[in-house]
Amino acid sequence: MKKRMFIVLALVATLVVGLSAQKKLTVWCWDPNFNVYAMKQAAAVYNKTHPKVTIEIVDMAQDIEAKIISGLQAGGAGLPDIALFQDFRIEQFLHDYPKAFVDLKAAGVDYSKFAAYKVGPMTVGDHVYGIPFDTGSTGLWLRTDYMKAAGLNPDDYMGKDLTWSDVIKLGETVKAKTGKPLLAYQSDNFDMLRIVVQSTGGQFFKPDGSLDLHSLAFEKSLALFKELNDKGLLYPVVGWSDWINAINSDKSAGFLNAIWMVGSVKSRPANAGKYMIIPTPRIEGVPGAANASNNGGSSWYVFSSSPNKARAVDFLKSVWATDTPDNEAFYNEILKGAGAMGTFLPCQTGSNYTAPDDFFYKSQPIYKDFAAWMKDVPVLRYTPNYVPMRDAVAHATLGYFQGKYKTIDETISAAEAEYKQVMGQ
Amino acid sequence: MEKRGIYQRYLNRFGWFCVAPAMAFFTLFMLYPILSSLYYVTRRWKGMSNTFIGLGNFVRMAHDTIFQDALAHNFFFLVIQVPLMIFLALMLATLLNQGIKRFRGAVRLAIFLPAVTSLVVVSVLFRVLLQTNGLLNNIMIQAHLITTPIGWLTDAFWAKITIILAMTWRWTGYNMVFFLVGLQSIDTEIYEAAEVDGASKVRQFFTITIPLLVPVILFSAVTSTSGTMQLFDEPNILTWQGGPANATMTAALYIYRQAFFVNADFGYATAMSYVVVLISGIFAFVQMRLLGERRAK
Repeated sequence: MKKRMFIVLALVATLVVGLSAQKKLTVWCWDPNFNVYAMKQAAAVYNKTHPKVTIEIVDMAQDIEAKIISGLQAGGAGLPDIALFQDFRIEQFLHDYPKAFVDLKAAGVDYSKFAAYKVGPMTVGDHVYGIPFDTGSTGLWLRTDYMKAAGLNPDDYMGKDLTWSDVIKLGETVKAKTGKPLLAYQSDNFDMLRIVVQSTGGQFFKPDGSLDLHSLAFEKSLALFKELNDKGLLYPVVGWSDWINAINSDKSAGFLNAIWMVGSVKSRPANAGKYMIIPTPRIEGVPGAANASNNGGSSWYVFSSSPNKARAVDFLKSVWATDTPDNEAFYNEILKGAGAMGTFLPCQTGSNYTAPDDFFYKSQPIYKDFAAWMKDVPVLRYTPNYVPMRDAVAHATLGYFQGKYKTIDETISAAEAEYKQVMGQ
Repeated sequence: MEKRGIYQRYLNRFGWFCVAPAMAFFTLFMLYPILSSLYYVTRRWKGMSNTFIGLGNFVRMAHDTIFQDALAHNFFFLVIQVPLMIFLALMLATLLNQGIKRFRGAVRLAIFLPAVTSLVVVSVLFRVLLQTNGLLNNIMIQAHLITTPIGWLTDAFWAKITIILAMTWRWTGYNMVFFLVGLQSIDTEIYEAAEVDGASKVRQFFTITIPLLVPVILFSAVTSTSGTMQLFDEPNILTWQGGPANATMTAALYIYRQAFFVNADFGYATAMSYVVVLISGIFAFVQMRLLGERRAK
């Protein structure tokens, strides 16, 4: 009798736990001021119509990929329901773990309503796996106070499509007068080089996925970086926190990066009124080069191991991929709150998309500008092997700066050699 | 007779029952991984799929200069950092044991604290101190020790020095505690006798303290060596993923990156781990032989 009671109790307990578990979604992402913030806003929108669903958003910082790989390797144990992946990273996961993610196209998401360049990396054959989130549309961020101190009029540069030789001239003037290098630069990191190469329409990989660094675009970009470095126009930092620190402690007169830097720049009140953002400079002599590029940007994915995947898909679909007044207000809100510009096109009509922003020099309507530049961004081919390529190129570039490699050819060979070794080719 | 046999059998069974949980955990978390590594090591992994390549992972290693360089960095850190740290720990322990009479507890705590502080937290501070425009460079320039800032984190050579300094800062206090215990277990009568014979303090240190501390030094050297062979935290966080440009890449970090970051190649990672374990074992054996023989004399 007692035994039977116990079994009944245990069954009831599992049922209760099971049911309550269905009402809870866990999301892994990073950056409290940006992704975590945006997802919290999305959760609030969803909770208006589904008040009983709890959405827990976990800030995973650095180790998120390692933790996800361990979870996938263990068949889904310990994984959340939803996770954020960088666009350049997701192809590796879709390739290595083909069954790990829920096909959202099959679940009814209409991808024609998203910016096309975001959908490419998450597509494998007829399957599309993610909900595109933010754009990484880039611009050249300049400190107008240092420009003025150097005797330049910022208005002469505002909105101008500059070439890199214009920028070098500008940088030399600012450096001579104020001592500030023009650009903060993550010396261990490939972001800025990527921005420049992508602006030319160049690629790091051939269409078949093999490495291709011997291109005019890449060679010209490397030469430009060497020139910037040799002329003292770069302020080198190592790692993300030092980068933010350099920008918020007046170490450089500007930087080249994406729209998502808005949050970090705004986090320091003293930056108010100082920055203006002009289009990404163009490299001369490369056909197809544009005054626009992209860096970063991420998207949301649902794990097929999730016991609540139907709920997770419903949440992503009904907030991030459906055109309703509520969702429009949500996309409008996260743009203002964090500089997170979504890529769901029907919701790019909110007031903040065109409003002047008083935090910037002469109240520049920065989101309008970034959105305009986004349309010209040449598409970059990531492939599953983007990370080893990125690291190899970044390492070789540093070697070139420090004189370990004398020529561009030598630098490219070093990058190719490291890539092959890491890939075991 | 028979009754005792039953009791004996009961005791046996009870004994096995008591160790069963430990055995189960050992099997699950030690034996099974070790045995399954024999399977992993013969395969090339890529996510969920893998193929048999026999000894291919070892062939790959023989051509992988990044791994070879990483091992060389491990040796470099080992050869400089371990003796330096043991020397410092010994000095500090002797000072604490004899010289400093006041605030002994506070000093001991201050020296030991780095060992129990999270490096992730500390490295944020370290990085601010060591930046090109950081506090350390600024102080040294002000004091006219250097004219141009040192690239503590950006220069291939100085980044290695940074790693050695950080490791020494972190582990000296930890090892000092062992030496303190060792020193306190030496009978003071030996020193008194030496005093009577007219031996100087320095002579006492080298002919009494050091020989009697050999077991502790050996322990310290062996554990530090295997710790350095597994060095991971400092190059991953402080110099940022083995940077600049793999200049502080260590074997353990490269293994981690192959398995969990770049390739999800657990086969290659396992094969490299075998090599690291083998080298660590050889080092431990050599150290025990060298120091052990001296003790026998």
